[in-house]
Amino acid sequence: MKTENLQFLLIFIAVFVSNGLIAAPQELSEGSIEYFVSPAPKNSALSRVVSDKSGRIYLSWVSQEGDLARFEYSELMGNDWSNPETISEGDDWFVNWADFPMLSVNAGNMAALWLRMSAKGTYDYNIEASFFAAGARNWSEARIIHNDGVNAEHGFVSMLPMGGGSTMFTWLDGRNTKLEDGYGEMTLRAGVFDATGNKLNEWELDHRVCDCCQTSSALTAKGPIVVYRDRSENEIRDTSVIRHINGKWTEPESIHNDNWQISGCPVNGPSVSANEEQVAVAWFTAKDDTPKVQLALSADSGDSFSSPIVVASLKTNGRVGTAILDSGEIVVSWMDTTEADAVIMLSLFSAEGKLLDNYKVAKSSASRRSGFPIIEEVGNSVYVSWTDISSVSQVKVARLVFE
Amino acid sequence: MFGKLTKIFLLVLLSVSIGNAEEGNWRIVNYWSEWCAPCRIEIPMFNSLSEELADKNISIVGVNFDEDPREITLEIAEELGVSFPTLTMAQVGELALRPPDVMPTTYILTPENEVVTKLIGMQKKEDILKELVKLGIEN
Repeated sequence: MKTENLQFLLIFIAVFVSNGLIAAPQELSEGSIEYFVSPAPKNSALSRVVSDKSGRIYLSWVSQEGDLARFEYSELMGNDWSNPETISEGDDWFVNWADFPMLSVNAGNMAALWLRMSAKGTYDYNIEASFFAAGARNWSEARIIHNDGVNAEHGFVSMLPMGGGSTMFTWLDGRNTKLEDGYGEMTLRAGVFDATGNKLNEWELDHRVCDCCQTSSALTAKGPIVVYRDRSENEIRDTSVIRHINGKWTEPESIHNDNWQISGCPVNGPSVSANEEQVAVAWFTAKDDTPKVQLALSADSGDSFSSPIVVASLKTNGRVGTAILDSGEIVVSWMDTTEADAVIMLSLFSAEGKLLDNYKVAKSSASRRSGFPIIEEVGNSVYVSWTDISSVSQVKVARLVFE
Repeated sequence: MFGKLTKIFLLVLLSVSIGNAEEGNWRIVNYWSEWCAPCRIEIPMFNSLSEELADKNISIVGVNFDEDPREITLEIAEELGVSFPTLTMAQVGELALRPPDVMPTTYILTPENEVVTKLIGMQKKEDILKELVKLGIEN
């Protein structure tokens, strides 16, 4: 190559790189990621990390001894986790890698849920919840949050702290699956419970949704927003959004028409995060057998969304999470399946949706037993929890500081 | 001690015999899961198809998507009424299939374990037979 041609090529590349047209993912510099000593025992899995507005961080998990499942949690005190506390336990729980117990914290109040089989030898289970009101000494007696009384599937719950210590539960409710010939339609329902567990409201949000994908909810400046995998009459299973505005639920709307048509379950629900009017939704799709993680942003509480930004494609199996930092930057978690060992990835985007960086958090596995990584933001940090199955299953937790 | 060793030996023998029985066969590999309603609906169809194809060098085998321990997997298979063989995780590993993004998913493999068809979602018997005809391995 002639010298002037080489110079032109170098200038050309420099211009492209400086304009951000060539994304150059980097790994996080050492020291910015902190791996905690896990408070969870061996044989633990199904973790979630959750915080409240004051920045208190809790880690929950399920540990198993034979048939007995124990739902436990620990609070981060400085750089150490408190001794684990047991919320509930049972030998008749539905314990599943994709649909598992959850803890929500809200100004000193806590709510927790798990799934208990409702009939032996079936795949029917109820959502049971317990509440720990601020100042109380004990968790309340467990109660079933839905009142249909039908032995059917109920699960894939999201919990959203609301005003006055109340919590909104959103769940997939299979009550109609048992009322029709063959297998009926899964519904999406939501209910609000006060700090002591009294139900204040309940709604059916969508009469026909995908059977086995997680739901996710967040609180915008205009009210709650819920995202889930919808199911059209002709089996399009794209991500829909529904919002509670001025006391009414909006009609379900697709975030983007991926047109993924499947007569099956992806087990790969979307994730939403919100900070006032800023909203971020990430989801997995695989139209034409092409796996993809996408992100859409809103600056008006979900009135409108940007076109999808592709976070990852081809070598991903999704399992997404979202977080919005105080800086306005957005973090998306997803699984990279390029190598034999899967990798838990975090992608950092500007508030406008420009990719800023990619970070490898930990080696994992594409195996279902590794579960879903969960992320939670506090200020400009993100906490990540996951299950390490490289030897005996154990929950792990780390913190990434984005300054 | 002797009893335990015998049990392990028999389990290994069974595993080897399943492998040998399938040698030279086309294989229909059905991923199922206990929580997947469409999977539960299509399992009786695969049971029946498995019997129909038994003398045609086409085997139907199942994979528990959830990767539960073997003992639990076999218990679940029994509960679901799966009558075709369920592969061990080691056997699944040998196939080197990418775990499906959707449940259920069914692969058709040549005798050399090459994936020639991937059927996503719940299938009907005619869907499977149509694919086999297309591949020239069934009339």
